[in-house]
This record gives sequence, structure tokens and C-alpha cells, in this order.
Amino acid sequence: MTDQTRLGLDISRCVGVGQCELLEPDLFRIDDDTGTATIVGEPVLPSQRAEAIVDQCPSGAIQIDTNINPTLAKPPDTD
Amino acid sequence: MTSAATSPDIVSPAIYLEGIPHRQFSEIMAHPGLLWHPYQDGGFWVVSRHSDVKAVSKQPKLFSSAVGHTNLWDLEADALEARRSIIDTDAPDHTRIRRLVSKVFTPRNINLWENVTREIACELLDDFQREGGGDWVNKVAAPLPIRVILSILGVPVSDADYLVELSNYLVEGTTDKPTLAPDAFGNTTDLRLLPFRSPASHALFEYGEQLGLKRKSDPKEDVVTQLVMAEEDGNRLSAAEYRNLFHVLVFAGNETTRTAIAHGAMAFAEFPDQWKRLENDGEIGAPAVEELLRWATPVLHMRRTATADTELSGTPVSQGDKVVMWYSAANRDPAVYEHPFDFDVSRETNSHFSFGGGGPHFCLGAFLARMEIRILLEEMLNRKMALRQVGAATRVASNFIHGILSVEMEVA
Repeated sequence: MTDQTRLGLDISRCVGVGQCELLEPDLFRIDDDTGTATIVGEPVLPSQRAEAIVDQCPSGAIQIDTNINPTLAKPPDTD
Repeated sequence: MTSAATSPDIVSPAIYLEGIPHRQFSEIMAHPGLLWHPYQDGGFWVVSRHSDVKAVSKQPKLFSSAVGHTNLWDLEADALEARRSIIDTDAPDHTRIRRLVSKVFTPRNINLWENVTREIACELLDDFQREGGGDWVNKVAAPLPIRVILSILGVPVSDADYLVELSNYLVEGTTDKPTLAPDAFGNTTDLRLLPFRSPASHALFEYGEQLGLKRKSDPKEDVVTQLVMAEEDGNRLSAAEYRNLFHVLVFAGNETTRTAIAHGAMAFAEFPDQWKRLENDGEIGAPAVEELLRWATPVLHMRRTATADTELSGTPVSQGDKVVMWYSAANRDPAVYEHPFDFDVSRETNSHFSFGGGGPHFCLGAFLARMEIRILLEEMLNRKMALRQVGAATRVASNFIHGILSVEMEVA
């Protein structure tokens, strides 16, 4: 089983580039009113992919969410 | 800076008439740590490796854009304030200003401009083909991006030629031999206070202000209206912020993509097997667009200033030191690119820095530029339009912009 990592968003840093929406459209979307990212899905990804998303966020707004167990034993339930 | 080894010359504008000094950059990159480059009364650290450029870009607090200037030289305090744009700001000002325009340039919203772009590209390519060729810069590379950005901003098409003229003078302003008289375009402002020290900047400021006033009294669905109407949550732009943002949008929105398209055509003319490859594929994939961008590196460098003592690649960097990221070098870093001097449209991973090193100043127009380049190549492919270069290109004598003033192409 691949490690899973949860991502969080520090909205104060977001400059609205849209890289996150391009890479993971089911998880992130740029709000057309505020010009900043919003989380629209369950932001849990295989760890390697999660690290790539963090790396490709230019503003540093997307971060590994360390408040929640970063490595989940299994993927969360999806409805 | 103390007694570090000294870098070979990579700043004399005349060098760039022959292209990017890759031999010097290879020498710099092979040296452990960073080299110090003397410049005017001081100097700067040459940041050339891919990993170092990324490290600087991704630490905007430690490496400031707002201190001194983002070019090689410092500006006097009054000039820095008068000329301060989104490029020369740090958070929170940078975040506030950028958010006002960022939504227009997200991948999703840029897609909305595909049809407009394709229409312009078709018109320009049809004319070029009918005439059998000509100056690729003047006939295709320059008009495509400026006409698209002006549509997005809401500048009337009838004024496009005037803004192209101003932009051309701004490019010239990046060289050491500008030709405009200080009072050109009715300029009365001290040149020190104008971007690129160019009277054309004064004219562009004036144009932006007039257009802003028009949109205030008669709002339209365009970016200029959005900017002059933005007042909520203290998000309003000051007059200086507005005119500098307008200036950046017009200049960066056309000069850089023009450069990419010029170098792209030259690359396909130099490596015809790569064009054949695309013809065989029958489509323009993302790797081709990214390789064109890597190859072109339209902006050669940006500078930051260290806000604290730190180190990079083992070299101590002191607070206040200038740190210059040479994208032109990092885009050919052999640690990242196999055969970096081959133009290869099939590179699968291509984390080039033609839009900057991946920090918060990541190019606002990145997705627009990618879309424009893809559509232009698609329409060239549709027309089976292989290009042959005639004679040498005329380059801009600038260590900042990888500009091409003109290059003759014939349709093969």
C-alpha cells in the first residue's frame, strides 16, 4: 500500500496561479471571486504525488498538513 | 562578500549580440559554490545551477524582490518607489496586487481566449505564407502576443500599433544604446523615475491612465475595468500601482512571448528533424511547447537581495548581498538535462525556469504564453509550414532580455 499524505492550504500565501487546479482539478479550484485556491475535494494523495503538488505550488500555500496524521494507514473513505 | 573567486564576464551587453554566453556559464556552473561577479561599484553572486535558482525563488523572505531592485543595479529610493511594480514587491503587497489580476490568467480562464488567439494566428500565418516569408518577428512573433494581450486588457484594436511601437522602444531601453530623445512622447518626467529609463514608459503610463478613466465612467468586461473598480477589502490599487501594473501587463504580455516565438522558429529551422517529428505526430504535445520555452529563455535573469546572512551551495551570502538567478544557465544545467544543448521536442520532464524559478513571482502569463505557442504551432502544422532561416538574426544587445529584433524566414 502506498503512503497517503494529506494536504492543507495556507490561504494567506496563495497568489492564485492555478497550478494546483491544473494538476488536481478534483481537489483544488481557483475561486473566481477571490482569485485564491479553495479545496473542493478530499486533499489526500499518494505521498509522492502530494510532495510534487507542494513543490509545484509557487506561493508555498499548499503544504503537507502536519496537524493530521500525515501518513494514513489507508485511504479515507470516499462517498 | 569577501575573497570569493571571480566570475567571467556575463554582463557586457555586446556579448549578447552573439547569443547567451553558454561557455562562460558552463565554466561558472562547474565551479563549486557560487562565483562573485563585479558590477559597477559592487557586484553580485552568480546563481547558475538549477537547484540554486529554485532555492532562491522558493525563499522569498530570505531573498527579497522589494529591496534595491530586481535588476542588476540598485535604484535610488525615489526611483524605486516610482517604478515599483508587481515584480519588485514582496508579500503582503505582492499578494494583494497579484490576486487582483491572477484569476484572468489561470489555466481555466486562459482557455477562454483560445478562439481569439487562433483567429489572430491564422490571419498572421496566412499572410506570411502568401508572401512566401519575411521578417518573422515583425510579421508573426510580435503581433500575435500583443494583439491577444490587448484583447484581454480591453485596449481598442485601433490602438494596437501605438502600443507595439511603445513596446519596441521599451525593448530598446534594455540595451545600452536607446535612441529616443528624453522628451519624446511629450515626456517631462526625469528618466530615472521611468521603467527602463525610457520616455516610452511615460507614454505607456499616460495611455493606461486615460484608459482607466474611460473605463471608470464606462465600465466594460475587461481587465482594465476590473483593476480600476477593485475597491473591496482595501484591495484598491494606488495610482502608482495601477500604472506600473498596466505597464507590466503590456510589456511582459508581449515582449517575452514574442521572444519565445522568435527563438522557437529559429530552433525549428536549425533542427528540421524536430519539426518533422511533430509533423509525423500530427499534434503539438506539451513537451514540444515546454522545450521551445526552455530553449528560448526569454528573460535571462532576475535579481534578489539577501535579507539575512545565509549560504547557497556552501558559499556564505551576507545580508544585503545581491543574488542574481541566471535562468539562461539553469535551463542548460547538465545535472538536470540530458544533452542540454540539443533541441528535443520529446523531453518528458522539463522543469525549465523560463517562467521563473517556481516561487511566488512565477510568471503571471505562463499559461497564456503556453496557449499562444501551442496554437501557433498547431496552425503551422495545419498549413504544413516548415520554415527556413535566411541569414543571421538581429539580436538585442541586452543581458536581461533574450530578444530578437528581426529574423528573415522563408516558407520551405
